[in-house]
Amino acid sequence: MNMRILLVLLLVIRVDGLFAADADPLQSVMWDYHHKGLLDGEPYVFDERVKVQAPPFAEDARQVPVHIDARALGEDVVRIEAWADLNPIPRVFTFVPGEQVLPLVAIRIRVEQATPIRAAVLTRDGVWHVGSAKVDAAGGGCTAPSVVRAQPGWEDRLGQVIGGRFPRGEGSRLRLQVSHPMDNGLVGGIPEFFLNQAELRDAEGTVLASLELYPAVSENPSLSLELKGRQDTRLWLRDNNGNEFEAAL
Amino acid sequence: MRLPILIIALCLALPLQAELRYPLQPRQIAENVWLLEGSTDNFGPHNGGNIVNTGFIVTDAGVVVIDSGPSRRYGETMRTAIADVTGQPVARVLLTHHHPDHVLGNQAFADVPIAALAGTTELLREQGDAMAENMYRLVGDWMRGTEVQLPSEILAPGVLDIGGRRLRLLALRGHTGADLAVLDERSGVLFAGDLLFHQRALTTPNSPGLDVWLADLDTLEALPWKLLVPGHGPVAGDAAPFVQMRDYLGWLDGLLRGAAATGEDMNEVIQSSIPERFDGVSLTRYELIRSVSHLYPGYEARQLQRVDE
Repeated sequence: MNMRILLVLLLVIRVDGLFAADADPLQSVMWDYHHKGLLDGEPYVFDERVKVQAPPFAEDARQVPVHIDARALGEDVVRIEAWADLNPIPRVFTFVPGEQVLPLVAIRIRVEQATPIRAAVLTRDGVWHVGSAKVDAAGGGCTAPSVVRAQPGWEDRLGQVIGGRFPRGEGSRLRLQVSHPMDNGLVGGIPEFFLNQAELRDAEGTVLASLELYPAVSENPSLSLELKGRQDTRLWLRDNNGNEFEAAL
Repeated sequence: MRLPILIIALCLALPLQAELRYPLQPRQIAENVWLLEGSTDNFGPHNGGNIVNTGFIVTDAGVVVIDSGPSRRYGETMRTAIADVTGQPVARVLLTHHHPDHVLGNQAFADVPIAALAGTTELLREQGDAMAENMYRLVGDWMRGTEVQLPSEILAPGVLDIGGRRLRLLALRGHTGADLAVLDERSGVLFAGDLLFHQRALTTPNSPGLDVWLADLDTLEALPWKLLVPGHGPVAGDAAPFVQMRDYLGWLDGLLRGAAATGEDMNEVIQSSIPERFDGVSLTRYELIRSVSHLYPGYEARQLQRVDE
């Protein structure tokens, strides 16, 4: 009898220990908050297979490159949520890669202060696999005056896309940059005006991958995605004012 | 009985030790030409931002100061150090460019003309406060009381004659868009500002392009110099700093060009391997991370084409 109680106790301690092992490696005060708010409190593990790369410090807090790579999770990826813990606007994107597109995104974001950057990758079993990186910063990237709006004629360039396709093994990397001020509403007198939806489609218009964007994304957003094949694609974009843009890649 | 006394003495000594004092010792590098050499480290609370070379030239019409250092405290210490060397008053300050480690000591020289290229004053007006704030973050209390003091005179390229000493002023662009180099014709000492880094990775926050910088190096090397004073790193009596700068700029340009052509992302570029021949150059990885942020977008844009419809 005593032995059984002891065993049960040991089990409880063991489970406790497991739970402790999944404490936030970056010890962010915002982890619990974002776990509840962005992941609906669903089961998660911190997983080194989700690689989040960012420079150790933000040389330009308005353009911090973030590279998220969940290819190590194989075919099981359903969705990727990315955010910056301590930003006034934490969310960066929601990415649903589909079958023809790899779970890999490179993008540039704004940070308001030194912050952990997260990518939570939902797999088919309903578990979020979380990768992190930490960026030091002098800050102010989210509230800095718009660079785009200071350039004459920016309205004429709205929605212009420059892009290119680069071979990666059997597949291809698509890189592009869209002219858009991505106003986040935090700069005095300028309401939110930002690209909030993107879809990568094939030549027939079938959606290959979809991307929701939030205004933590930098002005003139830069984006890299990777296709498994070499097929022609089209990128469709829409901003929160209803402007639609299209590019062929 | 002796131990408590020792402890009390130590306690009394500690606050003195904590006082922030720049160890500035002018070194004569030519007749009447003096150098204050900083380390090749990064900014930090341990060095108060003294990572920069400043200098001064003593003439019969007063002292010409070249750059005022990273903080008010530095500028004040520098002025005391100058007074220890010569009885001549400071006649004028020349600023090589607007970066914080070269100009934030200006307050100590507010009573004399502070001269800079027009572009330098403009850049300091735009960026000075943000750069000063960042310096407080990086080096801390050393900066206490430091504020941006804008230049009071505009310099034009040409010969500046002070007390019969001819200083040849060159207006160049490669490092910040407005870079002053000063050649003391009598001694052949060339104060190159940050157009020359030596044994320390070059920085690119405002560079208009590495090609512009390379062209400036040609202009500087053709001058009749005898001794090179780089903005950062040891002085040289030979062309070694030019050789190192060209090598490094060429490598950086090739790296960014190649990365853009193969579609690399910024985070991939900042992890590129750095050639072993630059092992003796300090802060290469740190400065590569910064340079990718400054310059890579330009290389990318040249590689990508319009694809919207």
